Amino acid sequence: MNNLVLTIALPLLGAFLLPVVMRLSQALGLWLGPIILGYGCWLLGNLWFSDISLPLSVAIGGFDAPYGINLYLDSLALLFAFAVQLLGLICWPYGLNQDTARRQALMLLLVAASTGLALSGDLFNLYVFYELAAVATFGLVVASSTSAAYAATFRYLILSGIGSVLTLLGIALIYSQTGTLNLAHLAQLAPELLNNRLGLTAYLLILIGIGVKAELFPVNAWVPEIYATASSRLSGFLAGLLSKLALLIILRLLVLIFDQPEAVQIVLILGILGVISGEFAAWRAKDMRRMLGFSSIGQLGIIFIALSLPDERGLLALLALSLHHLVIKTGLFMLADGWGGSLERLTGAAKRSPVGAALFTLFALSLVGVPPLPGFWAKFTLITELAAQSEPLYLIGLLVFLLATVIETSYLFRIVVKLYSSAETTSEQPEHQQLPGLSLATASLFGIALLTATVLIAPIGDGLQAVAAEAKNTELYIQTVIPATPGGQL
Amino acid sequence: MIPGVTLELILYVTALGLVIIGLAGVVLSSHLFRMVLALVIAEAGANLMLVLSGYRWDAVAPILMQRTDQPAMVDPVPQAMVLTAIVIGVGIQALAVSILIRIRQRYGNLKRREVAEKMDAEIAASAGIRRDISQDAPLGERPLSPLPAHTAESRGGDA
Repeated sequence: MNNLVLTIALPLLGAFLLPVVMRLSQALGLWLGPIILGYGCWLLGNLWFSDISLPLSVAIGGFDAPYGINLYLDSLALLFAFAVQLLGLICWPYGLNQDTARRQALMLLLVAASTGLALSGDLFNLYVFYELAAVATFGLVVASSTSAAYAATFRYLILSGIGSVLTLLGIALIYSQTGTLNLAHLAQLAPELLNNRLGLTAYLLILIGIGVKAELFPVNAWVPEIYATASSRLSGFLAGLLSKLALLIILRLLVLIFDQPEAVQIVLILGILGVISGEFAAWRAKDMRRMLGFSSIGQLGIIFIALSLPDERGLLALLALSLHHLVIKTGLFMLADGWGGSLERLTGAAKRSPVGAALFTLFALSLVGVPPLPGFWAKFTLITELAAQSEPLYLIGLLVFLLATVIETSYLFRIVVKLYSSAETTSEQPEHQQLPGLSLATASLFGIALLTATVLIAPIGDGLQAVAAEAKNTELYIQTVIPATPGGQL
Repeated sequence: MIPGVTLELILYVTALGLVIIGLAGVVLSSHLFRMVLALVIAEAGANLMLVLSGYRWDAVAPILMQRTDQPAMVDPVPQAMVLTAIVIGVGIQALAVSILIRIRQRYGNLKRREVAEKMDAEIAASAGIRRDISQDAPLGERPLSPLPAHTAESRGGDA
């Protein structure tokens, strides 16, 4: 089972070898990254269909948990690790020149760190992967080398630095209380040692710290500028996947360690504030990229509301919304590759690019939640679950969520109307409205994935239900990582 | 020494104080390089906190020796973690400074307001949208006429 480590180690190795390989043989250098990621996809895909019983824990370096660092693989981690490798392949910076070589190396680094975030079972290890992902992201945004990209990256770097200081403080608090950082061991100790004020403080610090990447409400000021200045493929990866991985860490902490009502309430309140601020800002935005950025803050807010729900159905809603947002937002950012500018310029764009306009409409319909599309099912699960709660705060969450849907409809369909309107504006610059072929093809891929999910919604729903049940099972997590009887270790 | 105040408490307060000073510096400073320095201070505080989380006052350095009466040792795990955290911190600070050099080259200075304004203007220009007002400007008319430049300066407003 040790080849699971390869999904992290190979991209990491590739990232550092790539500049050298590129100098020796350009053809090999160009293929190195896609081959590594393709192998990762194959490996993880095989795991999904093989008969190995999940969840399992892999001890790194021969030290068993809780003394060594372990990778924890359950269906949820497998799903996200697979998504990282696949999306890394899809959002891969294809190209030939010297600059792309650098981008490709950073992209491999980002994929390695993201896979680590999905798999690692140790709090400090998660922190290291988190910082690694941050550094790779800074480099990739700066690679577009406009002045605005430098300024935006600096803002992101400072916020992310604050986040890492807070996370470190939280980790120090937890360590001083428990003396361990292994998630399973922490889960064992948490009920007696962390179920207090200090534990809650540690949780809050880590929540805000990790929340920087998850676009959590008070620490998301970097979002619009980064998405406006980074390349669309990168923005797609960041908004679609990296935010979800940060969310996954918070989910693990919440389920395993900080299972306290206050911890859940904080998430709910921050989620509600995120929805309100994000959706209104998106409504006011005048250009496509920043609109998508703000809308992604709003969507992540909705996912945080789902995170605060107590039972398995809530987790199911969270997974459905996350995967749905992953497909939709990445697809929309691919379209923003050509349509990134002012919304006014999109008037009549459907005539020049009917496929692009059709895809945009499809994504918009699903994001709003029109019945046959998966977005409806995801949102419906959340609504029924919110309505079933008795606490008034959840009711506020429900109201805000419905309001957000109205606002979303307003700003998305304002664009759809523009796309299909026949009135041509005179001041337009046609070169901005050409969708690059590669982006259009990638966006079509996401469109097809969405339509396939529409047809297969019942089996997907059942599958996600099982994943949610498994992820919610704290006892199973502890048993897998630290077996009660010796000899059961893999 | 005041009774009840141990060295341990002083160190904990110091660590927390460094973090607070650093965070306040990041929020309040109007120059980008000072923000980086403030972040360095905050990180130092967090690292100190991490070291303290495994420190024991009655113990020795965690080195295994051939002796029969092995005394209690300090927990080595936080020290290993702190090393990692310091290295990560240094890397990120170096990256921050190198980005600052580029910003200085492109925008001419490192004042927070001006860089933010120019960045907004550039994003708006590349997106092709009209940027009507600064996001910091008040929406309505001014109730009072603006003060002369030197008075505004001496009042410490960073406008």
